[in-house]
Amino acid sequence: MGIEQIPVTVVSPDAGLSGNAHPLLREIVEMMGALACAGTPGILDLAALPLTPADKVWLRERLGTGQVQATLDAEGISSVEETACPGVWWVTHRDARERVLSEFIEVTLVPEILKAYPEDVQMGQAYLENVISELS
Amino acid sequence: MQGPLIDSLVRQGITRRTFLKYCATLASMMALPPTAGRAMAEAMAAAATGGQRPSVIWLPFQECTGCTESITRSHSPTLEGMIFDMVSLDYQETLMAAAGHQAEEALHNAMKANAGKYLLIIDGSVATGQGGAYSCIAGRSNLDLLKEAAPGAAAIIALGSCAAYGGLPNAKPNPTGAVAVTDIIKDKPVVNIPGCPPIPVVITGVLAHFLTFGSLPELDKLGRPKAFYGDTIHDRCYRRPFYDQGKFAKTFDDEGARKGWCLFELGCKGPVTYNACATVKWNDSTSWPVESGHGCLGCSEPHFWDAGGFYKALSMPADPLKMAGVATVAGAAAGVAVSFANRAKKATAKAGHETTTLADLEKE
Repeated sequence: MGIEQIPVTVVSPDAGLSGNAHPLLREIVEMMGALACAGTPGILDLAALPLTPADKVWLRERLGTGQVQATLDAEGISSVEETACPGVWWVTHRDARERVLSEFIEVTLVPEILKAYPEDVQMGQAYLENVISELS
Repeated sequence: MQGPLIDSLVRQGITRRTFLKYCATLASMMALPPTAGRAMAEAMAAAATGGQRPSVIWLPFQECTGCTESITRSHSPTLEGMIFDMVSLDYQETLMAAAGHQAEEALHNAMKANAGKYLLIIDGSVATGQGGAYSCIAGRSNLDLLKEAAPGAAAIIALGSCAAYGGLPNAKPNPTGAVAVTDIIKDKPVVNIPGCPPIPVVITGVLAHFLTFGSLPELDKLGRPKAFYGDTIHDRCYRRPFYDQGKFAKTFDDEGARKGWCLFELGCKGPVTYNACATVKWNDSTSWPVESGHGCLGCSEPHFWDAGGFYKALSMPADPLKMAGVATVAGAAAGVAVSFANRAKKATAKAGHETTTLADLEKE
């Protein structure tokens, strides 16, 4: 008998809204103030407090969709998306099998992970110089 | 982000962005402030490689090698393995190439060269019966070895429920006199990482914390890192809403079991078990016991092996762990109902001269 013949259907409990997402909006507003006035970035770890899937959808809808969507291919695809509030980024790290590893809301001008590192730039420079030398 | 470790990783094809992503995730799993991810990345990138790495001595005592299996079979090998690349594992019987007197020499050289600084990992319980003769390595008892290795350690990690609490060897009637590391060693910081086996990311997390901040993470009253053992399985269980709604599977093949309802009445120890299985899961985050349809055995709690039956609901009487006292009111009420149902069933069986099955006895 194959596993598909075992009649198991798991019903996901519909937890609905827990009310935990609401105070996060206020926290984000505070962080935006700190970024605009003092240039201080802030991060919220979405795993740090219990949020139901419905809470995350609610939060995402309130924050809206902004102009920038970036994907990062690093042992799995990460997405870095600006929300409709400039400077507020929704960052989702996934593993190679597309499961969510960690999820953050970053309040910053540019998320750290998007920036190129000077050491990597030097390596790229060396690579390109090598390409040029092979051309001549 | 600079240093010997990150340079070595970049040579292996791991980019700085990948490393930062890993550190952010590790910090999140360890419930550290989100800004700690960046700090960890900076500190670990600068970690030494080659001969300068911190020494780790891993002594296996009365154990089944399940803990080593768990750690060495952790997934995303490049990154979990990276944490092990940051340390110099100077002695680990199962993994080391050396054997016999050469292996023992490596152990003693490492202890001498790194006195006061090495991290000592113990897996397995310490046999104390017959002067410790029940478990020996190279002709010396585990008890002797522990007493020799502990004084020079910066800290000790008791890996797995055997080292943390005595574990299965300690089960009644405990023929070998098995005890926990903390029963012998009283004057060193000891981190307990219980579980049978423990979750791989818990040990890499503790190692990362030690290497990054030079200190041990915050511990609970049983010496366990709060980041991973701060919540019960029940608190974080995806079946929790069914418990709250009073929907319980009564057998392993009834409608409730098929619909994935709460396993409390089938003996799940989730409400009194502190561990991270419900969030971190097992086998590369594929599943975990409750998701596979079986209750939690409570393997990260002391004396789970003698707690009176894996299939006995927590609220049942005859509870040597006094686990029932902490079950919530709703659960207790449900459990009492089960207890009555089982007793009634047994009485009926007795009256009708029916055979009482093992399962009936187990539930009583």
